[in-house]
Amino acid sequence: MKMEDMPLSGPDNTKLEALVNDIYSELVEDACLGLCFEVHRAVKQGYFFLDETDQESMKEFEIVDQPGVDIFGQVYNQWKNKECECPNCKRLIAASRFAPHLEKCLGMGRNSSRIANRRLASNNNMSKSESDQEDNDDLNDNDWSYGAEKRAKKRKSDKSQTSPRRSKTLKHKNGELGSGISADPYKYNYNAGINYEMLGPDEVQSFLTTQCGVISEHTKKMCTRSQRCPQHTDEQRMAVRVFLLGPSAPVLPEADSVAVPESFDIPDGQALMSRLQWEDSPEISPSDSASSKASTNHSDSRRPKKKKPRPSLGLNSGGGIGSLSGGGGGGSSQSNISLSTKKKKPKLTAPSISSIYDDLN
Amino acid sequence: MDHTVSKIMSKDYQMKAAINQKLIEMGERERLKELLRAKLVESGWKDQLKAHCKDVIREKGLEHVTVEDLVTEVTPKGRALVPDSVKKELLQRIRAFLAQHAAL
Repeated sequence: MKMEDMPLSGPDNTKLEALVNDIYSELVEDACLGLCFEVHRAVKQGYFFLDETDQESMKEFEIVDQPGVDIFGQVYNQWKNKECECPNCKRLIAASRFAPHLEKCLGMGRNSSRIANRRLASNNNMSKSESDQEDNDDLNDNDWSYGAEKRAKKRKSDKSQTSPRRSKTLKHKNGELGSGISADPYKYNYNAGINYEMLGPDEVQSFLTTQCGVISEHTKKMCTRSQRCPQHTDEQRMAVRVFLLGPSAPVLPEADSVAVPESFDIPDGQALMSRLQWEDSPEISPSDSASSKASTNHSDSRRPKKKKPRPSLGLNSGGGIGSLSGGGGGGSSQSNISLSTKKKKPKLTAPSISSIYDDLN
Repeated sequence: MDHTVSKIMSKDYQMKAAINQKLIEMGERERLKELLRAKLVESGWKDQLKAHCKDVIREKGLEHVTVEDLVTEVTPKGRALVPDSVKKELLQRIRAFLAQHAAL
């Protein structure tokens, strides 16, 4: 008998319904039976009553269903508003900010040393060149990308306006700068700004041969970045040297390298040349002539310094303007770009510059 | 007369058997079973019934409870406790199956 043959009309509908119900009850019974078997097995195996203990414990661990409290009855943000006293600086810090604060405060942790070095570089004016050399090496570390560095520096200079520690002078390595906060042994570099007033002319001179030295307007401190620091132009550096050391100031080392034919020199030559073109002030020209005298003196002292601590610098610039390899040297490669894009006339007049200096010499 | 009645009855019976067979063959019965189980657990029916089981067991004594005891105690209650929504949905699905596969 085929099912399709069966007509399902009016009276059959009830049959149909009955059929449907039958099927449904069978399914439900199956489910109940399944449960019974499960329970029976649990009873016989002995694990049916495992989740029950004595009444007392059951009451103790009952599920809590109140607002503001989790199911165990604990308040979850209870300690959000509490403040803890830092054992280092004795300040009251919010609980959720306590751990990062400790990290910075004690100087332990991955970021704190980096931030400290950055701050040192941007705020420090003067120190012994060796200590600065280390810091600058940190800055020129190959791990850093130039963009991050520049951004960080910009951020730091904004921060320094409002940071509570801005005006505090901290202990410095050579003890030259003012009293430090003993509680911040690690941060001694931060705001020990290199102020040109504090240093003698010899120190200033030695400092200026290695660092950028441009005096920041708002902090009155000297830039501790390298001579090729991208934040300051060569004119600024020149002006600072003139200002600090007088018209007979030994000037930027860029002048040295003009005398020696190297591909590295070409960007410097351009800078020098443009400076000559733009600046009409009398200060600059005598200093130019002075620089050429001093240039030979400096070239020897300058060179080894240039090559040794920063080999990447020489290598990168050695690659020429057009081909900048990898960008490993950070600041130097960038300055190459900036210089080359700014001054396109270059190669034609470069030889003429060296000839001028030869005459002066 | 009996003959005709039995014929009708047997027809119904045969129809029922055929439908059941089709249900099983097409795997629909399994699907329906799983659906029902899931819905019952979701609605808390299983926990309710389990609590009832506990009472029965405590009553009869842990050592001596048998399957039959449980079945006779639990099944009628279980049938009654099924939520209406679950029941409706299942009936709907069965009807749909029949409509599709049994030439209405």
